[in-house]
Parts: sequence; structure tokens; C-alpha cells
Amino acid sequence: MNVLILGGAARLAPYVVRALEGGHTLRVTDIVPVDTPHEYQPVDIGSPEDVHRAAAGMDAIVNCSVLREDRQIAFDVSTRGCYNMMRAAIAHGIPRVINTGPHFTIEGKTYTIFDYDINPDVPPHPSTYLYALSKGLGQEICKVFTENHDVHVLTYLFYEFRDHDDPTPGGDHPFAISWRDAAQAIRLGLEVDLATLPSRCEVFNIHADLPHQRFSSEKNRRLLGFTPQDRLEAMWKRR
Amino acid sequence: MNVLITSAASPLAHHLARGLYAAHDVRLTDIRDARGPWPFVRCDLGHDEATDRLVAGVDVLIHLALPPPGFVDESETAANELVDYHTRRTYNLLRAASAAGVSRCIYASSLSIFANCEEDWAINERWRPRPSTEPHILSHHLGEFTCREFAREGRIAITCLRLGNLGNPGEQDAQPPDPTWLALADAVHAFQCALAAPAEPWAIYHIQSAFPEARFGAGKARDGIGFAPRSGGAGGAG
Repeated sequence: MNVLILGGAARLAPYVVRALEGGHTLRVTDIVPVDTPHEYQPVDIGSPEDVHRAAAGMDAIVNCSVLREDRQIAFDVSTRGCYNMMRAAIAHGIPRVINTGPHFTIEGKTYTIFDYDINPDVPPHPSTYLYALSKGLGQEICKVFTENHDVHVLTYLFYEFRDHDDPTPGGDHPFAISWRDAAQAIRLGLEVDLATLPSRCEVFNIHADLPHQRFSSEKNRRLLGFTPQDRLEAMWKRR
Repeated sequence: MNVLITSAASPLAHHLARGLYAAHDVRLTDIRDARGPWPFVRCDLGHDEATDRLVAGVDVLIHLALPPPGFVDESETAANELVDYHTRRTYNLLRAASAAGVSRCIYASSLSIFANCEEDWAINERWRPRPSTEPHILSHHLGEFTCREFAREGRIAITCLRLGNLGNPGEQDAQPPDPTWLALADAVHAFQCALAAPAEPWAIYHIQSAFPEARFGAGKARDGIGFAPRSGGAGGAG
């Protein structure tokens, strides 16, 4: 499969590349140069022309792009970037997109300060926090495109990333995953039979099997066959 | 009250200012220069002090969210500009307004966000929007999405008026009726009603003129804010 990676300089991207190389042909893109043995194209995801050109000949898109703090660029990357990505997917007939973002893109404070077992299919409450709302708008754009066009979007929600062998105690967060497990989830998203998914827009809580039960990741196993191998016990077990 | 109206270059802003001028201190703004007899401040609605100054002292913000004529057509990336206008600029405006203590915003959305619904469905405000990906329609949906988060957090009370297709009475006499037609006079009346009604944290009203072929009912607007459309709609002014 020819896979376009947007945001190739993002922290998650190298792990994704490692998980996919060998099985897929990769086109890695970002607005800044990326040191990669794969094809590289400079792409400003806020530019419709850049994204359209980069998507030519691709079978799938993985969007790792992120910009949190600057108000102009956050909307350029996270909101309009998704719009450009979806327009490019439609223009080139690309059937599969994997979009990424923080869990509060959907599961914002109005859930997390009250609830447990929060599943990824709740209505979006991103809040007015710039990062969450600009990403939440991007996710909403993806959803509308799937309701109007023959394209699937798998949205992966993340929050805390850790090295799988990180022995540092504490830093406990109920939405954490190892980098390598996160990347494997994306590989599975590229391989899952789209016809088996309940809808063309599916959201997944991508975190390790953690005992907190603050969030539910049951859907990952059921739809993606994804079982994370790292439990990150140093983070949440007493010594 | 001090009322700030965005999209000064639009006919709706012009008519609305005329309708509110006698009872309120009205000021208009747009991202391009606009002419008119009312106080006007040009503002890009960026993330800067200019937007902060724009909303200082305002009691009610009326965000018409209509990009000025030519704004979209002039750009090769027109669809991107529309999305940006309804998301980032709206975010900047609401962020500045809520920080300045503006208690209320009346946001003009569009009934076109039900573009994908069957024509014989009796749609009201309880229905989930089904926007298409046509940029004008999707952008309104995203504008509502942005407003809703500000309302959810209680930062500012937002009344969302979903407007039909704006026109003047009688102008469709020679055309097939537009089932979502909204006379400018009725649109102005809707904003006057919303302004006079008590503010709710988040409220949505469907606004279109009354005529037999009208697609959307205005029952909630009638009961909630006292909206009573007077225009006869396609085929004749009332």
C-alpha cells in the first residue's frame, strides 16, 4: 500500500515509519525537512496545493501533524489541514485516512472531570482550549466528509506517550501508551478490512491496558484486533 | 445597549443596523472596508489587540459571519478562506468578547446545514444537522461547532439563528419558489426579537419567512423569542 504520512517530523511519526516500512511504500512529508530513507516531500498541510500534490498515487493517508500553541498555525494545521487532507483524499479516490489527535479533541473536560469508562463514541466536547478545539474542528470536518463521500476515517485519540521500557515511576495518566504500541495500532488501522467497520467514521481511544478504567479501549480489540503489549507498570504500580 | 455587528459590508448588516439604530448604540465591523452611515471599525478578527479593542464596552455581539463580497472569490484557496473565517476568526472574536465580559452573542448560521435531509422531513431545532462538504455549508456548521464550545463553558451566552436564504420580498415572483426563503425584513425582525428576549446559555432558532411552501417551521422561534414573520414569501410580499 502507498501511504502518505503528513506531519512526518512529529514525535510519533518515526515510530509509525518503523512500524510500516517493509510492508508499505511510504511518502513522508512535513513543512520542515525529515531525515528519512523513504521518499520525502516538503508539504505545508495548510496549503491545499501541497496536500493535493502529495496525495497523488496514494492508497492511504496517516496524519500525524500537530501544532498546539500558536493561534494562527494551530487552525492552519489542525483545522484547515484536515480540510485539505480530506479534499485531497476525495480528489484522488483515497479510501482510507487515519487521523490523530489528543483525547480531549472529543473527550474534553466536561467528560473527564465527571466520568469513567469514557468511550470514544461520545459526542465531541473539545472545549475552547485552542489545541483541543482546532483539532476537534478537524475531526468534525473528517466526519462530515465521511457522511458525504466514500472515504473512511479512523481517528486515533492519544494523550501520554512513553518509551516502552521507561522505568521512571509516577507521571501516572490514564490515557498513556508506548510509542511502539501506538505505531502498531496505526499499522493495524491500515490493514483492517474497511467493510468490517460499523461506519465510515470510527474513533478509537489508543492507550495501554491500564487499570484506571477512566477510558475504555475495548473497541480497539473488537474492531482493530489491537492488543497493546506494554502495560507501563512503572507509571502506575506502587513500589 | 452597545451592539457590535460583524460583516458590515453585507446587506443584512446594513438593514440590521437601520433596524436597531433607534434603540441601541450600534457599531459595525468587517475584515474589509465598508461604507455606511454608522460607526465602523475595520478589524481582521485576528489574535491581537485590535480584536480586543473592537469588543471593549460591547454588551451584545451580533456575528453575522458573512465574508465580505469578493473575499472568497479573489482567492485561489477560496474554500480554505471560508473555513478559516468561520473557525479561526470566529474563535478569536469570541475569545476576545468573552474575555472582555461581553455577555451575549447572536450568531447567524444557516438552514443550509440540513442540506442532506429529505425535503419532506419536518425538521426542527432538535434535529442533528447533516451538512454537505460544500464550503459555504460546511463552514456554517463549523462556525456553530465553535460557538457551541464557548456556550458550553459558560463563557458567553450564544443565540444561534439559522437563517434561510436571504432575499427581498417579491424578488422571486418570476422564479420557482425557494422553500427556505427569508425576507430581509423578517431576518432583521428575528435579530430584534433575539436581542429583546432573555439570554439563554445556548439556544438555536430556525428563521425563515412564512409561506405555504416554507420548508422549515419557525414555531420554536415564535414561542421562544416572539418571532412573527410578516413577509408573504415567494410570489408576493406580505
